[in-house]
Amino acid sequence: MDILSHLTPMFFTLIAAGTLIGIIFGAIPGMTATMAVAVCLPLTYAFGLVNGIALLLGLYVGGISGGMVPAVLLNIPGTPSSITTTFDGYPMAQRGEGERALKTGIVASIFGGLFSAAVLFFFAPVLADFAIKFSYVEKFLIILLALTVIASLCSNMLMGIFSGVLGVWLSLIGTYSITEGGNGEPRLMFDFMQYYLIDGFSLLPVLIGIFGLSTILLDAENGFADAPGQGRIKLKGGARFSFSIFKGQLVNLIRSSGIGTFVGMLPGVGGSAASVLAYSQEKNFSRDSSQMGKGAPQGIVASESSNNALTGGALVPLLSLGIPGDSTTAILIGAFTLQGIQVGPLFIGNNMDTWYLMIIALVAANVLMFGIMYFAIRHIAKVIEVPKYILYPLIVMMCVVGAYAINYGIMFDVWTLLIFGVFGYVAQKIGLEVVPLIIGFILGKSAEVYFVKSIESYGNLTIFFTKSPIAAFLWVLIAVSVAFAIYLRVRNRRRGASSLVE
Amino acid sequence: MDSHWLSLFDVTIDFSQSHLFFPRIVTTLLGILLVMILVTRYRRIVPALRHAGRVVGGREGNFDRKRFFGTLVLVTLYFYLMGVLSDVFPNTGYSFLIMSVLFVFSLSLLYAERLSRRILLIITLNALIAPAIAWYVLAQLFRITLP
Repeated sequence: MDILSHLTPMFFTLIAAGTLIGIIFGAIPGMTATMAVAVCLPLTYAFGLVNGIALLLGLYVGGISGGMVPAVLLNIPGTPSSITTTFDGYPMAQRGEGERALKTGIVASIFGGLFSAAVLFFFAPVLADFAIKFSYVEKFLIILLALTVIASLCSNMLMGIFSGVLGVWLSLIGTYSITEGGNGEPRLMFDFMQYYLIDGFSLLPVLIGIFGLSTILLDAENGFADAPGQGRIKLKGGARFSFSIFKGQLVNLIRSSGIGTFVGMLPGVGGSAASVLAYSQEKNFSRDSSQMGKGAPQGIVASESSNNALTGGALVPLLSLGIPGDSTTAILIGAFTLQGIQVGPLFIGNNMDTWYLMIIALVAANVLMFGIMYFAIRHIAKVIEVPKYILYPLIVMMCVVGAYAINYGIMFDVWTLLIFGVFGYVAQKIGLEVVPLIIGFILGKSAEVYFVKSIESYGNLTIFFTKSPIAAFLWVLIAVSVAFAIYLRVRNRRRGASSLVE
Repeated sequence: MDSHWLSLFDVTIDFSQSHLFFPRIVTTLLGILLVMILVTRYRRIVPALRHAGRVVGGREGNFDRKRFFGTLVLVTLYFYLMGVLSDVFPNTGYSFLIMSVLFVFSLSLLYAERLSRRILLIITLNALIAPAIAWYVLAQLFRITLP
């Protein structure tokens, strides 16, 4: 078997290393799984495809899982997706049940992770098979649908749409690539910029700038005054952990994992949405939710199983359609491209071995995450005390390596890092939505090719509606997502109005 | 007959101008959205800008000017000098190593809340060891291109 020859000790060591680094990044408030993947990218240049993927998936799973550590111990979510873990985790830690809370979260995490890996394994090939038949018209509509879904779920729809379109606009800077059937002419820039921007902005420096550098700028502005880690942490003393906590939690586990996986599949919807949704569903449907918010394990179960289920879910559209499900998978798409992989409908069929190895790596990352966290949780809990004045300079340094080495040594890519670091900072200050912007940036160039080629071959705009039943169906989905967004808005406004009356 | 009104939607793209077709649509869309945003919230923009000006100017809020602008200046210097120095030592990564040691040290100094002898020692050791390890592992072991 070809696959077995790849399952070397190196493969598993890299998954373990990635998971551990990911957990550490996740555990430090302000640093996310996305940042972990961005910072460790340069390491993957040195490895081959399979080992690079092993490291990246380990980082991804570890980064999402690590967020629960400060959520429970400090009441600060380490990653946005562990925000609901604080609701019940911190009260438990205050009672001296920190270790119990963390171990509950760890068990819930591995359940969510494996659940979503299974969904990925069975669902992605089906979706890819379906998508193989797509022509340029349907491909363009899929991108339009992705952007509509993202924008309609933003807290402010107008800003969300604007951010997405701005992302597309930024991606068009450069030449209309000849390899994609374009005419090789530059656009959207002045003549003096042509030397630097002939290929446009490179994806990874843009992402590393927005997620790495701008995070540091946002923290620098606060002056690190509210540095965590000084509070007394009580890991032990109260009730001990035992698996009996999970008695009667199976429905909660499956429901929350399902919600997490589904939200993960929707492009651009962050992890916080998944855990908030799973938490509120548990509150609505469980027989006894009176203790939730005061330190009930079921709240941690809902939150942690749903946020780990994101991982597999977010990989579904990435591997079957080439559309990233969240910001971390957005960086993964860049990392795959570097390794010479084109993700899209053809990926799974053409790379069966890689596909199976990815599933194995994902499962292994979850199992290793469980092992590392379950047995070393007390040591990991200390990581959150590492001061930021040590960490942040090193992160900037690793960002530079990542940006510089991507195109084998181009200094402009390093400047791109700074440009988009500052841009990301300003964008978040003026209320632009970063995730739609990034997804627009990633999909913009393909959208152009699909759109222009469709028109060039059919010569009529109505083709976007009449090409096939699938095209019509995609328009229905686009309409539904817009209608759903408007419905949510109206309902929220009514609720806001009625609460004012009360 | 049927195709008569459909032909209203006929579009032909001149290949020599095809690089401008989609960007024009997107730019127009972006412009329309920008106008919509400006129209719907123009009342909030001016006060928000004034508020931001006061915050950055240090007259309001807890904006840490020293650390924020210090970070920007240090990062810019780091990138610029690294580029200059890499012409002196091409393809060795020495420029990266030297500039990273200096950069990590100065940024740590900027971020540290208080300086004791112990903290200074930790910062110095970190600034010397971490870039050296990164340089050795990446440039020497893995042969990754560094400035």
